[in-house]
Amino acid sequence: MVRITLLLAFTLFSSTICNAQKYYTRSGVTEFKASQETFEPIEAINKSATAIFNINTGEVVAQVFIASFEFKNALMQEHFNENYMESALYPKAVFKGKIDNFSKDSLNKISNFDLVGTLTIRGVEKVVKTKVTVKEDNKKLIITTRFVVKPDDFNIKIPSIVKEKIANKIQINIKYELVEKK
Amino acid sequence: MSLLKKNKFIVILLFIALLGIGVWSTYRYLFVTPTKASEVAPDFIGEAKEFKYLFTEDIKYWNNKVVQIKGKVSEINEYGILLNENIFCQFEQNIDITTSSATNDILIKGKVVGFDELLMEIKLNQCVIIQ
Repeated sequence: MVRITLLLAFTLFSSTICNAQKYYTRSGVTEFKASQETFEPIEAINKSATAIFNINTGEVVAQVFIASFEFKNALMQEHFNENYMESALYPKAVFKGKIDNFSKDSLNKISNFDLVGTLTIRGVEKVVKTKVTVKEDNKKLIITTRFVVKPDDFNIKIPSIVKEKIANKIQINIKYELVEKK
Repeated sequence: MSLLKKNKFIVILLFIALLGIGVWSTYRYLFVTPTKASEVAPDFIGEAKEFKYLFTEDIKYWNNKVVQIKGKVSEINEYGILLNENIFCQFEQNIDITTSSATNDILIKGKVVGFDELLMEIKLNQCVIIQ
């Protein structure tokens, strides 16, 4: 009997290990908008975020290369990389966090979850709390979220001449389509 | 003075031309869109294997450099191609690639964006298939 329980426990245990399913993407879409209404739009899109999501624990890691943000305007992109983000020094932004109470089985009932984690930009860490939407679509997990960051939080200095053109709250929109990692 | 008067027309014309050039260059400087990798001469042309070696020697140097590399396709998805197991080339536009090209070597040009520590891959952006 003991042997059977042990065996059962072992199979259960090992099955949870095998089920440590991970979903990932290499081409997540990250957008930001820092425009003030009356001025020209300051926004960029990055289509090459990498993200890994462990559906058993709810842990998420995501990474965005700063230099792959694309602007409509070359000069703006140059300033963003060289003056504000210093992408040569700090090539990426990293997010590590956890989606609370995530369970893949409940996805057809619930799609909104709480996400808490640390965002590291320019080597400065900041805690981010936000809501995420997770939807399952044709074997893909589509994670969308939006949150706001402040340039001050990451020691990004904005010269006073352009201060009124750049919003002090920057909207970040995220849409990652994850597939299962085999 | 008389010389200037005689050539008044030419002087005015010259002034207008200069003004035009000034406006045009300012416009270009302010509003030009970023250059794409496909329009830039590559900093490296060669085998993917060799590039991988050079990249790991000095990762920072390669940041934002345009390269043209030849390698074996190991994975294809709707966003790009994985070359030699760990160079991910993401396309400018999502295009359909036939799986038949998977067996052959492929020549790709793109911009290096960095090393992806999560998946242990080198990432290229704005890629175009040359051959």
